[in-house]
Amino acid sequence: MRRRELPSRLGLLLALVAALVAPLFLGVAQTSYVTTALTLGIVALGLDVLVGTTGQLSLAHAALYGVGCYAALGVGTRGLVWPLAFLTAVVAGAAVAVVVGLPSLRIRGLQVAIATLAFQVFAQQIPSKWAGVKSVGQPFERPSYLVDETHFYYLTIGCVALVMAVLAALRRTRGGRVLLAVRDVEARAAAFGIATGPAKLFAYGVSGGIAGLGGAVFALQQTGVNDTTPFILRNSLLLIAIVVVGGARSPLGILVAALLVQALPPILGSDFDILGKPAEQVLPATLALLLLVSVVQQPRGIGGVLRDLGAKLTDTGERPSPRPAPTDAVASAARARDLRDVPRPLKHRLPTPSLLVAKAVSVRYGGVQALVDLDLEVRRSEIVGLIGANGAGKSTFFNAVSGLAPTTGSIRYRDSELLALPAASRSARGVARTFQDMGLVRSDTVRENVLLAQTWIAAYPAVAGLLALGGSVGTERELRRRADEALELFGLTHLAEERLGDLPYGTMRIVEIAAAVASGPDLLLLDEASAGLTPDEAHALGDRFQALRDELGLTLVVIEHHVPLIARTCDYCYCLESGALIAQGTPAEVVAQPRVVESFLGRGTLEEVPA
Amino acid sequence: MLGEVVVGLAIGSAYSMLAVAVVLVYSSTRVLSLAAGEIGAFALYAGLHWHEDGLLGWHPTVLEAGLIAVLLGGALGLLVERVVMRPLVGRPPLDGLVATLAVALFLALLELALYGIDPFAAPSPVGDGSFDVFGSTLTAPEITLLLLAAGVAGGLWLFLTRTRFGLATRATTSDPTVARLLGVKVNRVYVFAWGTAGLLAGAAAALLAPIQGSLTPFSLTTALLSALAGAVIGGLDSLGGAIVGSLLVGVVNGVVGSRVDPTTSAGVVFAGVLAVLLLRPQGLLGSTRATA
Repeated sequence: MRRRELPSRLGLLLALVAALVAPLFLGVAQTSYVTTALTLGIVALGLDVLVGTTGQLSLAHAALYGVGCYAALGVGTRGLVWPLAFLTAVVAGAAVAVVVGLPSLRIRGLQVAIATLAFQVFAQQIPSKWAGVKSVGQPFERPSYLVDETHFYYLTIGCVALVMAVLAALRRTRGGRVLLAVRDVEARAAAFGIATGPAKLFAYGVSGGIAGLGGAVFALQQTGVNDTTPFILRNSLLLIAIVVVGGARSPLGILVAALLVQALPPILGSDFDILGKPAEQVLPATLALLLLVSVVQQPRGIGGVLRDLGAKLTDTGERPSPRPAPTDAVASAARARDLRDVPRPLKHRLPTPSLLVAKAVSVRYGGVQALVDLDLEVRRSEIVGLIGANGAGKSTFFNAVSGLAPTTGSIRYRDSELLALPAASRSARGVARTFQDMGLVRSDTVRENVLLAQTWIAAYPAVAGLLALGGSVGTERELRRRADEALELFGLTHLAEERLGDLPYGTMRIVEIAAAVASGPDLLLLDEASAGLTPDEAHALGDRFQALRDELGLTLVVIEHHVPLIARTCDYCYCLESGALIAQGTPAEVVAQPRVVESFLGRGTLEEVPA
Repeated sequence: MLGEVVVGLAIGSAYSMLAVAVVLVYSSTRVLSLAAGEIGAFALYAGLHWHEDGLLGWHPTVLEAGLIAVLLGGALGLLVERVVMRPLVGRPPLDGLVATLAVALFLALLELALYGIDPFAAPSPVGDGSFDVFGSTLTAPEITLLLLAAGVAGGLWLFLTRTRFGLATRATTSDPTVARLLGVKVNRVYVFAWGTAGLLAGAAAALLAPIQGSLTPFSLTTALLSALAGAVIGGLDSLGGAIVGSLLVGVVNGVVGSRVDPTTSAGVVFAGVLAVLLLRPQGLLGSTRATA
C-alpha cells in the first residue's frame, strides 16, 4: 500500500467503526444531537470543496442548506418518494450554487465572497416572507420506515459516507485536479487545457449539491420547518468556522469539528458548569476562541492533528531519495561527462517541414511593448534555442503561443492559426509547455500533477468522474498508465506519491517536464528547464532533450541561460533583446555575433561565461 | 415619502459610521472586516450592564454607558488589531476576512455566554424626545445619529487632509509598501484605523440599538451588513463613497422597507450590490486599486 494513504485509510476505518457502534452507547437525545451535528457536517464538507479545493469563500452555504431542505420538502411532502426528494434537493442546491457562483467568472476573491454574502442576506428572508415557500414547511408525516432516532442516525451516516466517497472521487479524477490548478495556478491552467470558468462553476455545483443533500437530510429529520434559523447568515459563519477548525481538505477533521461545535454543547448540556455558567452556554464561545487561534496560528486544524497522529503510528522510517533515480539517459550522461568540453559538431537547420511559424507577433501590456514584430520558425524534429537577457521577451513568446498574453500577428501551428483558438484548446493541438517559475500544484503529489497536465485528454465530464460513469474509469486508468510511463522515463517513479512541494527545486522542474511530456505533445516549450540544476544535472538534461526528440519524436523550443547547453543541444537558435529579434542561426553563429555578446554581457565573449 | 427619506437617512447615518469603520480598516490593511458590528455590540452590552449593575461603586447614567461603549469599542478595536490582525499582515485577503469573522463569532458567542440569549433592553442614551418631520417621527437617537455622522465625516475629512498623520494615513491607503519606504510608520496607521473603527462601532451601537429596540447577539452584525452593502456600492476604499452608499441603503430600507416590505428592500439592495460588483467592482466612487 502507498505510504501516504495508510494513515488516512486506518483513520477512516476507525471512524466508520466508531460511527456504526455509537448509538449503542448514546441515549436517544444524544443520538439526535449527533445526527444534527453530522447533518451540518455534510454542508461543511460541501463548503470545503470551495474553501479547501478551490480557494473561494462562500458565505451563502446556510442559504444553500435551506434550498436543499425546502426542495426536499416540496417533493417529499407531496406524497412522492423520498429518494426523489433527495435527488431534487441535490440538483436544486447545485443549480442555485452555480447561479451564486456566476459572478466568480468576472470578479474574484474578496468580491466573490461579498456577492455570496449579499445572496445569503437576501435569500434568508424568503421563507418567512414568501407564503409559497413557507407553506412547504408545514408539518408532514414521515415515511413509515423512518421512525426512531437511530434510523435517522444511520441515514445521516449513510449520506456522510456517500459525500466522503464523492469527495474521494473528486480528488482522484479530472474535476478535483482541475480545481486545485485553478486555485494555485489559475492564470496558467489554460496551458493544461483547462477552461477556468466552467471549472469554477463545477466547484460551486458540487459544493451546492452536497449542501443541498444536507438540507434534504435535515428536512427528513424535522416534521415541518417552522424555524428557519439553520439557514441564516449566522450558520454560514458557523460553517466556515467548522471548515477552518476542522482543517481544509480534511473531511474527517471537518466532521469532528462539526461534532465539537454542534453536538458537544447540548450533550454536556446543563449537567456541567464552566465558571459557574452552564456548559451549553459557555462552550460555543470557547470553540470560537479555538477558531480565532486556528486562524492566527495557521495550523492545519483538527485534520492536521489527525494526519500527524496517523503518520506517527504507521511511520516505517523509510524515506525515498528526493532526487530522480538515475535512468539510462542520466547514466550515459555521467559516462560522457569527461567529454563535456569537446563541442559536438553543430547541426544545421533541418530540412523538415515547419511546425510552428510566427509572423509579426507583437505583445503589448498597457504601455509596455513586450514583443515587437517577431518572426520565428520551428521545423519538425528540431531543437530550437531561445536566448536573450532577462526581460527580452522569451517567456512572453511562450505566453503568446499558449494563449496567456494579449497577442497580435500570426502564429501558425501545423495547419491552424493558434491565435484564433482559445488558450485552453491549444494544448489539445499538441502544444505543451513548462513555466519559468513552475506551473504545477505544489500541495499535490507528483503523480496527480502529471495527471493534471493530461487534463485535455480526459475528455469525460467532471461529474461523470465523481460518479464513476461514462468511461471515466477506463480513461483514468489509461491516464495513470501514461503518467507512470512518463515518470519512469524521467526516473521519478519512486517519487510518484510524494508531495511536489517537498521535493528539491531541480527535481520539481524535472517533474514539470515529465508532466508536459505525459500530455503527449508534438511541440514542447521548455522555459529555463536547467534553472536550479547542478552543472552535471544540466548536462544530463541536454541528453534528455535529444532523447525526447530522437525517441519520442518531439520538437522542442527551449529558453535557456545556460549557453553551453544551448551550444550542445540546439539545432537552431534565436536571440531576443527588448522584445525584438537581434540574431538567428546555428548556436555557434549566434553566440559569435558581437550584438548578442553585448546584449548578454555588455562586453567580452560568451566563451568566458562559466558553465 | 419625504419623512421616510429623512428617517432612512438617520438609519443610513448609523450605517455610514459602521461603513467608515469598514473602509478605514479596508483601505489601510486590505482586510474586509466583519467584526465592527459585534465590537460595538459587545462594548454596549458591557456599558449597559455597568449602568444596571454598577461596578467599582459607580452607576453610570445611560448617556455615560453610551460613552463607555464608545471608549470600550475603541479599546476592543486596538486589542483585535494587536492580537489577531497584526500577525496576519501579508497573508491572503481571505484569511483576514475569516479572522474578522472569527472575531465577530467569538464576541457574539461571548455575549451569549455572559448575558444569555434574551433580548437586552437598550434605552436611548440621549433621552426619549421626538418630533415630526414631513409626517414621520424622528426620535432623539435618530437626530443624534444624523448630527454625529455628519460631524464624524467632517472631522475625518479635516483630519485626513489637514494633519501630518492624516497625510501618512492617506499615503498608506494608496500604497502601504511605498509609504513604508517613505518613512511612514504604517503600523501606527493600522492602529489608528482599528482604534477609530472601534470608537465608531461603539457609537453606532449605542445609538442604533435603542432604535432597533433591544440588543441581541448578532443584531448589530445585521446592521453591519447594510453598512457593508453601502460601502461596496460606494467604493470600499473611498470614505465619501462609503458614506453616500450607506445613506442610499438607509433610504432604500426606509422607503421600500416601510412602503412595500423589508424583503423587497433587501432584494433591491442585493441587486444593487451585485450590479456594482459586476459592472463597476471598485464601487461608484472607489478607485480601481480597490479591486486588487
